[in-house]
Amino acid sequence: MSGGRSCRLAAARMFAAARLAAARVAGARLFGTAILVLATLGSTARSSMAEGVVHSEVDARRIGLEDQVQLTITVEGSALPDQVALPALTNLALVGGPSVSTQMSFVNGQMSQARSWIYVLKPLAVGHAEVGAAKVRFDSGEARAPAIPIEVAAGSVKPTPAPRRPIDVFDEDPFADLFGSGRAVEPRLLVEAKPSRVSLFVGEPLVLTYYLYTQTSVSGLQFAEAPQYAGFWAEDLERSGRPNGDPATIEGMAYRRFPVLTKLLFPTRAGRITIPAAALSIGIPRQTLFGGGGVVRRSTKPVTIEVKAIPDQPGFNGAVGRFRAGAAVDRPTLALGEAATLRFKVEGSGNLKWVDRGPEVSVPGAKVYPPQVKSDLKASVGGIVGSRTWEYVIVPQTAGTLEVPALAFTYFDPSKQRIERSETAALPLSVQGGAAGVAPAVPLAGSGPIPSGGPLPLRTELESRSFGGSPWSGGAVGLMAGMILLLHGALWGSGQLGRLRLRRAGPTAAPRSVRGALRDLERIGRHGMTKEAAAGLIEKTIHGVFGSLDGVEDERARAVRKLLDEVHSVRYAPQLGDYSEKLRELAGRAGEVVRRWV
Amino acid sequence: MGVRRRAAWKGLGPIGMAAAMLSLGALGHAASPQERFRQAGALVRGGDYPKAIAIYGELAASGSESASLYWNWAQAALARGAQGEALWALLRARELDPADRAVGREIERLREAANLDRAEIAPEPLAALARTARRFRLDAIALVLLLVSLAAHAGLKWRRSVARLAPLAWTALTVGLLVAVAPVAGSLAHPTGTVIRRGAPLLDAASPTAEAVGTLREGEVVPILESSGGYVRVEDSSGARGWALSVDVRPVEAAPRHAS
Repeated sequence: MSGGRSCRLAAARMFAAARLAAARVAGARLFGTAILVLATLGSTARSSMAEGVVHSEVDARRIGLEDQVQLTITVEGSALPDQVALPALTNLALVGGPSVSTQMSFVNGQMSQARSWIYVLKPLAVGHAEVGAAKVRFDSGEARAPAIPIEVAAGSVKPTPAPRRPIDVFDEDPFADLFGSGRAVEPRLLVEAKPSRVSLFVGEPLVLTYYLYTQTSVSGLQFAEAPQYAGFWAEDLERSGRPNGDPATIEGMAYRRFPVLTKLLFPTRAGRITIPAAALSIGIPRQTLFGGGGVVRRSTKPVTIEVKAIPDQPGFNGAVGRFRAGAAVDRPTLALGEAATLRFKVEGSGNLKWVDRGPEVSVPGAKVYPPQVKSDLKASVGGIVGSRTWEYVIVPQTAGTLEVPALAFTYFDPSKQRIERSETAALPLSVQGGAAGVAPAVPLAGSGPIPSGGPLPLRTELESRSFGGSPWSGGAVGLMAGMILLLHGALWGSGQLGRLRLRRAGPTAAPRSVRGALRDLERIGRHGMTKEAAAGLIEKTIHGVFGSLDGVEDERARAVRKLLDEVHSVRYAPQLGDYSEKLRELAGRAGEVVRRWV
Repeated sequence: MGVRRRAAWKGLGPIGMAAAMLSLGALGHAASPQERFRQAGALVRGGDYPKAIAIYGELAASGSESASLYWNWAQAALARGAQGEALWALLRARELDPADRAVGREIERLREAANLDRAEIAPEPLAALARTARRFRLDAIALVLLLVSLAAHAGLKWRRSVARLAPLAWTALTVGLLVAVAPVAGSLAHPTGTVIRRGAPLLDAASPTAEAVGTLREGEVVPILESSGGYVRVEDSSGARGWALSVDVRPVEAAPRHAS
């Protein structure tokens, strides 16, 4: 369906609604026949899109390469999708959007709604471009809008759009400039958010209905912003039938009241929760031949709900309402190696959608796999009605009679104001085949020593504490390592301290001379050195290292003096033989003295 | 003589019989851990998994822990359908004997069967380091090396003629310190616990009135950050922190306190 045709159809329906509302309020019968005819037309047109219709339109079929084009996809129907897929684009790129708007309108006392997604596209090259077919999937099937070809020229060819009134479907008034277009009378319109109750327990359902009170016809209605329900879990309620306006009197004025939106709310916490005001933009069609129509804005009042806490106890999973639990096994008798399915079903009315976790099922002698959850739930004004089923696969591991234990479902019953418990009966499970008490192969166990007594790979010896057990903890290891490091430090420190003490005790050689002295001492006895020269070198080396030790009476001084005395005796001894061996010994001792005392 | 004995038994009457029964019962209680272990194995083969697990729990709590005990515990738990408990038992077995390859393979199989990621059963890398240190006795090696280094340094100090010991002293010190890093760093790991109950709730407080903020996965290993009463504060693999019932999360690094 093209955009223009859709617009004309909507205009016809809105016009019919305007006539009907005006006729009812004023009591005029002049338009009675016309109303019937238009209502029939509107109804016929509506039936054709009972499942939903999708339109796709662009604001220009010929654009320049520097222009942008606006694509609008509109879905009408009883159940609107939250999102639609952007059609395939040829030679076009998405540069903005989508912006989403929802509209509701009344036609012959029936409400219809439409949601639009607006995208901004930009051509990529001169030539042919195309917006592909828009597809929307409904419960009953798929609706689609045809592809839209677009011609792209060089430069900019798109005229600048003139500002227009957004809701004025009849376009500009040709006599507006001549007669003026202002309306003196403000239309009588009210909106109201009405809760089904203002005090309830956490998890109890509450129906919140938005009503429109009007004395005039309405061409369009939409929420200025999506209503917020902080502190509630919100569910949409399907509209039942075609709501007609009810007569209502407010402050002595007669109105017709239309339900606009109905929400099923479940408080998620206790306390005073306020549902904030919601603003609605309401389109008014032209009232006279030269009237321009317009948009008025109305807000509901905030609604405060008193939410009472529910008690808690172990095993209570937050279900609120009235429920009944049941359990069944699909095969009460089965052979060893086969599987049975246990179905635990909870049905009733309340907040069953909240409850995800099924009961813990443990069957001695059988392996129970995690459940699959199946739901058959429907939102209604009384809450969420239906059932939820947890299906457990049970694989017996042994022959004999097993027992599926009694399973319980606890819930809070608001009418009794206490936690109730619905319990199933225990179910026998007869497992045939194989020797009683002998389990079949367990899928996950396959390694390790296989005992002779059965298929389970059990170990037969309880060894003493495994070698992996460590006598020391990491902290103890760290402590011991630290202590050993300290001992290292003590060793190093004592050496340093000794040297320091020696330096204080008397002048000693510079560090350089120690290595040099040792090198000099190693030369003793080589290169044909005379005994006098060798002894002189030892004396010089020792003096160079230790300096003067006069007046010092410690072990070191004594050792040095003793060494020097021997060196002297060799130096000044008559040359009666070969002293090279003795000199090498003295040089070695001198080296030891140097290493030890420096 | 034999007649007198029979007469004596008769003379004891019912009281004597009761005393004899009691003494037999006491003998049964005094069965060695090895006998109890075999008895539990027989129970597992007979399909009485709960009773067998209770015996394994008693043995573990009394200090007779071993990889074999936890291996059998895991098999019994698995046969009972308690996957999380089986995984815990295997992890505990690996703690006691990190070199047991069969345990490692079984953990891997169970992890895959439970559809758990590797990181979900090993949230603490330092714990793996500690296990490696235990497996290769790095603590003992480090201490031996450090003592060797100390002895060599002392030798150098007191006998300078053994200067060739210097490289040994310094090498032993360096290697010993490096090896000691593993057990010391491993000791800094948070203790971990295995979720042994399916759908164990993650609570927003350690209180009976706390609200569940999520659900822990059975078999998942979580770091235990804190403990308070019957609750432990844990962090799951997604990073969510909260409190769990301590009966739902069994510590991996410590023996169970009582039979389950």
